[in-house]
Amino acid sequence: MRSHPADYELLTPNNLPSVLSLLAQEPGAWLPIAGGTDLMVQYAAGHLAARKLVSIWNLPELRRIEILPGEIRVGAACTYTDLIENDVVNLEFPLLTSAARWTGGVANQNRGTLGGNIVNASPAADSLPALLVYGAELILVSVRGERRVPYEHFHTGYRKTQCAADEVIQFICLPRQFSDYRAYTRKIGARNAQAISKVCLAALGRVAGGVIEDICMAVGSVAPVPFRLAETEKVLRGKRIDPALILLATKTVAREIQPIDDIRSSARYRRAVTANLVAEFLKGFSEGGSKKSSMLARWNSLPLAEAALEILPCCGSNSWARQMAALRPIEDEDTLLAASDKIWRSLTESDWMEAFAHHPRIGHSATPSTAPARSAQWSSEEQQKVAAAGDNVLAELAEGNRAYEERFSRIFIVCAAGNSAQTILDILRRRLRNDKQTELQESAEQQRQITSLRLKKWNSE
Amino acid sequence: MNNLSQTATKSDITLVVNGKTVTVRAFAMERLLDVLRTQIGLTGTKEGCGEGECGSCSVLMDGTLVNSCLIPVLQASGTHITTIEGLATDKRLHALQQAFLDFGGAQCGICTPGMILAAVHLLSQNPQPTSADIREGLSGNLCRCTGYMQIFEAVAGAARRCGQ
Repeated sequence: MRSHPADYELLTPNNLPSVLSLLAQEPGAWLPIAGGTDLMVQYAAGHLAARKLVSIWNLPELRRIEILPGEIRVGAACTYTDLIENDVVNLEFPLLTSAARWTGGVANQNRGTLGGNIVNASPAADSLPALLVYGAELILVSVRGERRVPYEHFHTGYRKTQCAADEVIQFICLPRQFSDYRAYTRKIGARNAQAISKVCLAALGRVAGGVIEDICMAVGSVAPVPFRLAETEKVLRGKRIDPALILLATKTVAREIQPIDDIRSSARYRRAVTANLVAEFLKGFSEGGSKKSSMLARWNSLPLAEAALEILPCCGSNSWARQMAALRPIEDEDTLLAASDKIWRSLTESDWMEAFAHHPRIGHSATPSTAPARSAQWSSEEQQKVAAAGDNVLAELAEGNRAYEERFSRIFIVCAAGNSAQTILDILRRRLRNDKQTELQESAEQQRQITSLRLKKWNSE
Repeated sequence: MNNLSQTATKSDITLVVNGKTVTVRAFAMERLLDVLRTQIGLTGTKEGCGEGECGSCSVLMDGTLVNSCLIPVLQASGTHITTIEGLATDKRLHALQQAFLDFGGAQCGICTPGMILAAVHLLSQNPQPTSADIREGLSGNLCRCTGYMQIFEAVAGAARRCGQ
């Protein structure tokens, strides 16, 4: 049965002390509500036991992310969108960003809060395994003062927590010590958005010379509360990764979790899949040695400006390079290429022009002086087949370039790799008939392809 | 039905809806969705699931996409709300409304207002989205007629037109 709004009180104090004194006056009577993505669902269904609610939505004390030298402190009423948009969270705590993107859709990410996810204490909450592996601590606050508790011990049972009736979580603290760890997370569900997980694994590991120096793994939806895979971590720590160790890890994790059959999945499926996820994470280290390339690993560890400068020859837009560098760590080539495409398409026209200007004229060897040497070398490799053409075709190409530059006031951009001069000449003549907007889009698409090829080359060096 | 005595009283709550300042007399815990539909008379915002799963009740609150079924109206006090009725100007459809028409992005119509507001929010943040961006941006909005392809094409079409 639906709730009737007349049966519920809601107050909206504009500061945290007012909320805390209200909670202290009648302990247990007032329930804090932030974005309402859980409580309003219970309310609509007539299942909300509390009749007095106090809003903590948008309280300034709870909606800020403090960046300190040793840790970051995420205000409990920060939304998933706040997390997704924070550069430090993205760079240093990518598991949390992934979980935030999987939570609900955009509208729920705009209202759902990290603190709400914690106190709601669902066994299936996607952000909680990430908090466990990062070793998060919570600052709880009440009129009695504040205390700091390890998040790992916060959940005491199914939907039960250590939070006292007069307390709220003020901050979730994350130590800044994982930037050299490999991060892995995967949600298994009907779909990522708006679907509750069947299994969700978050994992961090640091491997040197094939030996696991440190490893942290946590899993959701396979026990009454999300939990650290302490037993499995123990059999892995200090060991060399090989097929026998991976097999041992999958057997250990299958024993360690306690999944149930429910509407979303079966215990058997969850056990098998969790073991597979652990194996996938571990195999990534050994494959990573060869496939992941030392290039990305090294690039990930460079200072921001250096990383941007290094990748600039792949695409001559400074804005593109800076945004790519800010997205690190990027673990593999697929992620690298997808990120590049996305950033490229979001750039302004002047950023595009800057990138176009880094290329030499097609059929013309001199590279603009602004282009890095690496870019010039790639250009000559890409135009190898063009350079092999006869003088007649090259003369026609030069004439085509001139006509193009007159019409569009910039050089002709084409992904030349593997194409003969004649093919390129045909493309040029066709594109001369484009209107300006179509031609801009087509040039941008060509630059996107050039960038992808160059990123692949760069990554395999 | 209900043996609880009423504990709450109504109060005046002021918000700006589609550019007009409106004061309603409501219980604090009334859902923004209900206040928009019944008190303010803007029935373009639809109720689908009532639990934040379907996105039919999407509106913009201070420019941010939210599910109005999950918002106690008191939390919307002082905010600017945009509903589907607030998109067209001077009898000219918003680019996304026009694109939904042109690309056949609406079937039964229940999800359409929410889809369009989610798309408005997406394009406000990312004017030239990739098809993956469009899917992610609309992932909280369900269409049970399942005409998703036309919807995605409408959003891509509107982005192209606006970019020209």
